[in-house]
Amino acid sequence: MHAIVVNGLEKRFGEILALDHVSFTVETGEVFGYLGPNGAGKTTTIRILTGITSPSGGSATIFGSDIVRDTIQARRNMGIVYETSNIYDDITAWQNMMFAGELYHVGKEDRESRGKELLEVFGLWDRRASRVKGFSKGMKRRLTLAMGLINDPKLLFLDEPTSGLDVQSNLIIRDVLRSLTERGVTVFLTTHNIEEANQTCDRVAIINRGRIAAIDSPERLKKTIQSVQSVEVAFEHGGAQALSALSGLPMVSEARKVGDKVRLYTEDPGGLLREIVSYADSHQDRVVSATTFGPTLEDVFIRLTGLRRPKDGREEP
Amino acid sequence: MIEGFDRNQLAAEAVAAWAIAKKDMIIYYLKPNIIIAGLLFPLFMFLAFAAGKNVPLGALIPGLISVTILFSSSSIEPVSIPIERRTKTFERLLSAPVSLHAIVVGESLSGFLYSIGIALLPLIVGIIAFGNTITSPLVLMAGMLLSALCFSTMGTLFAAYPTESPGDIMSMLNLVRLPLIFVSGTFIPLDAMPPVGVAIAYFSPLTYGNDLIQCAYGNPASFDPFLDVVMLVCFFVIFQFIAHRLYAHFNE
Repeated sequence: MHAIVVNGLEKRFGEILALDHVSFTVETGEVFGYLGPNGAGKTTTIRILTGITSPSGGSATIFGSDIVRDTIQARRNMGIVYETSNIYDDITAWQNMMFAGELYHVGKEDRESRGKELLEVFGLWDRRASRVKGFSKGMKRRLTLAMGLINDPKLLFLDEPTSGLDVQSNLIIRDVLRSLTERGVTVFLTTHNIEEANQTCDRVAIINRGRIAAIDSPERLKKTIQSVQSVEVAFEHGGAQALSALSGLPMVSEARKVGDKVRLYTEDPGGLLREIVSYADSHQDRVVSATTFGPTLEDVFIRLTGLRRPKDGREEP
Repeated sequence: MIEGFDRNQLAAEAVAAWAIAKKDMIIYYLKPNIIIAGLLFPLFMFLAFAAGKNVPLGALIPGLISVTILFSSSSIEPVSIPIERRTKTFERLLSAPVSLHAIVVGESLSGFLYSIGIALLPLIVGIIAFGNTITSPLVLMAGMLLSALCFSTMGTLFAAYPTESPGDIMSMLNLVRLPLIFVSGTFIPLDAMPPVGVAIAYFSPLTYGNDLIQCAYGNPASFDPFLDVVMLVCFFVIFQFIAHRLYAHFNE
């Protein structure tokens, strides 16, 4: 059985078409990434799939239960972890866990044993009696994820799970995600961290302006844009002068500074390497390192969403 | 959204509603703005009425109980729900495997229990300090419980307005609650009011709750107690229905 089946999903807010006939399926046990720029329709999709908002058209089922007609049954199988750590600051970590358990119909014994187990896994057991108000951002995020797992869900919606977190929280959350996927839990992940999606997801969907632009495995998506290859080179005398000189080469489609290095995009990395060496010789400079790269998932994302890359390497619309 | 019910689901809904009520009790009961709105405001209203009248204080206690229930039961949700919208915890309730009815009932339940607890204060003070006697305890219980149920649901209804500021909802709610005090026979008996006031009083749930409470103290009642009960139940059902519709609408 498919974990999620989305068929021709549409959502209108007045004149604005936020989702335009979105269709995809997520297999049981799959880690499915849902990527898109801000305002692309990611949150609207999640709100529909979790039954908070009704679609204007189309349908969606969760393990066979229609999210509109059989909302409660569909929700029983899922855990939801929103981007914001939506926990109650004025009560303790333990009270938060127990409240989540009661909302998800988890019996008292299960709720207590599972609550203990999850707080231990997320490194919060020693702080169970503390009010959440004093927790760090990472601890709150871990508690939010623990609450999302209290009902032992078959499907977990994760919205930006590791965004802006400290290293310890990041590692714990990634470990937990790995063990969940090993146990066959289906994960629907939205993230801005494209490298995280590349490493974690079996397949990704890229949504742009309410439409699905592509769905496939990260590796297959990368193969669709083999023309986007790049050479990253470090010069002994810095890269500023080299950047302006080499960016003018006809074979270079795009050039940007990456830290103390220069990254040049090309369809002909071999030819470009020769030009780089020639540039260094003629300018009494030396190539400290040169690395060639194939297209990344970020390149695919940028190509499909039409974002452009500013000089400092961040995307912008 | 169509939400199917079975016996297990009903039990689960009850557990979830109680969990929501408990959560509100722990977090919100002692918040300063709830104490001010639910306890101090009715007390000052009572003192204002008492100061301008040549009436024994004990005679005003039934009115004070009615007003206390009105303010205390409808003060929890207008504070808790906007705060939870801001912290996104309300989204947690909306995405849980429970119906919107369970959420509305759970939220209202906390206001209901709060107001019953608070209303016992003037009741006890009236008996001990002013020697009030209650001639029909059952009628008093019905009046207090049904009023609390009705007004806590009214508070939940107003809190459906999609704002993250409790002040926005409190302002709207006070536009309704304050006039109700004057047109419902709490401190001014219905027979002392002009015909327009009496006509308005028929549309106020506070009129029927207060009538039951006055009746329980042996004061002359304006309506048959059975009619009071029926009217309060009707108001409760109407408020529940509208609250459910508003939450469903504003979630879009």
